[in-house]
Amino acid sequence: MREITVRVNGRLSRRTIKDNELLLDFLRDRLEVRSVKAACWRGECGLCTVKLDSHLVKSCLVLAVEADGKEVKTVEGISPEGELSPIQKAFVSHGAAQCGFCTPAWVLATHELLQEKPHPTQADLVEATSGLVCRCGTYNQIREAVAEVSGTTARPRHMKESLARA
Amino acid sequence: MSFGSPYVTLPDFTYHRPKSLDEVLALLKEHGDEAKLMGGGVGLIAFMKERLMSPTHVIDVKEVAELGQVRQVPGEGLRIGAAVSIAELLEGGDLKTEQAVLREALARVADPMIRRRATLVGNLCEAIPWVDSPPALMALDASVEVAGPEGRRSLLVSDFIRGPVDIDLGPNEMVTEVVVPESKGRRSAFEKFTGGSEFSLASVAVSVSNGGKKRAAKLVYGAVNSTPVRCPEAERLIEDGLSPTKVRRAAETASEKVECLDDVLATASYRKHLIKVITTQVLWRMM
Repeated sequence: MREITVRVNGRLSRRTIKDNELLLDFLRDRLEVRSVKAACWRGECGLCTVKLDSHLVKSCLVLAVEADGKEVKTVEGISPEGELSPIQKAFVSHGAAQCGFCTPAWVLATHELLQEKPHPTQADLVEATSGLVCRCGTYNQIREAVAEVSGTTARPRHMKESLARA
Repeated sequence: MSFGSPYVTLPDFTYHRPKSLDEVLALLKEHGDEAKLMGGGVGLIAFMKERLMSPTHVIDVKEVAELGQVRQVPGEGLRIGAAVSIAELLEGGDLKTEQAVLREALARVADPMIRRRATLVGNLCEAIPWVDSPPALMALDASVEVAGPEGRRSLLVSDFIRGPVDIDLGPNEMVTEVVVPESKGRRSAFEKFTGGSEFSLASVAVSVSNGGKKRAAKLVYGAVNSTPVRCPEAERLIEDGLSPTKVRRAAETASEKVECLDDVLATASYRKHLIKVITTQVLWRMM
């Protein structure tokens, strides 16, 4: 057991934890940050993605104790309370969320990508989100949402078009 | 939300975060068999969830300053510390044309979030047959620096990997650095076939040196057998430069000579086919 102090979305939290606790469990169970989803538990689906200091990491593969003295950002922390960020608005208008389970991770990852590269290419987007899975398959709508925010025009790639290229 | 079952919980352990290499070695001396070193934790945490490993002490080496460096040592080569993450290594720009094989292999490891945490040394020490860094390092004649209670020793990656998930490292020892030797005029490249998952079904690491009189070629195949395997017969064919005929012959020779495993992921004959395909791809690209 030990005490750790973590700044989550700007708020400082101090909790006593066990050494073998995952950052994922710490965020969900102790701090009730429920946008961080637990799904595969083995770093494959990416739905537990959070920003630890300056980089995105998968919190099911990080110990809570490693976050001691660090800053964690989740999707709750990307826009002021009660407002939506541009990428969140674009997700809504493009229907980029279907069941919604993976949406927080995708919003966070695409938000961070747009912060780093305001005009990402499709290759940038694919690379940056290659660790995330959407079982509903809203990848095209997410691509359109990112294109809208970055001001580039992404023609929706329909199946017919993809087949024609193949 | 822990269900109290394996796969989601971790065994009980005491976490240590030493600040210096001496502290790490002292902890290893004290806890030895019951301790595991943690770099990025990507492998270790996953293995602990499945109870493939249940250490009672976890020693996190990320804050050991001397392990977090990438150094270009003139006359010796590139020294990559054990705590350097794959993302840091790629962003640092130290992997130049000479080490292209390593850069290409690492750039395709998992995804950016995993690469941010995972380390080259951790990847190497897992010694899982389908991991991509060992063949890339072997193609570059890389070695590892090991520190332990009896001092330091250095050995080639090809000797360090003794078998599948089996490395030449005592319970009180640790790998502090990977050393990629200098080799002027060397060109190298990496190719793999994953079949849609992130794990290689077959990978190939090539290096060709034709600087001055010393000509040498290396073809190292990963994921086809329990450890990376070289193919000297095909290497001889490409030592003196590449041509379409030589590429075809080298690919056919490697496919014939390299021994492949039959397992749940692929049959041996499929792996032999993949060897031909990826060898052709990688050599064609280098021509």
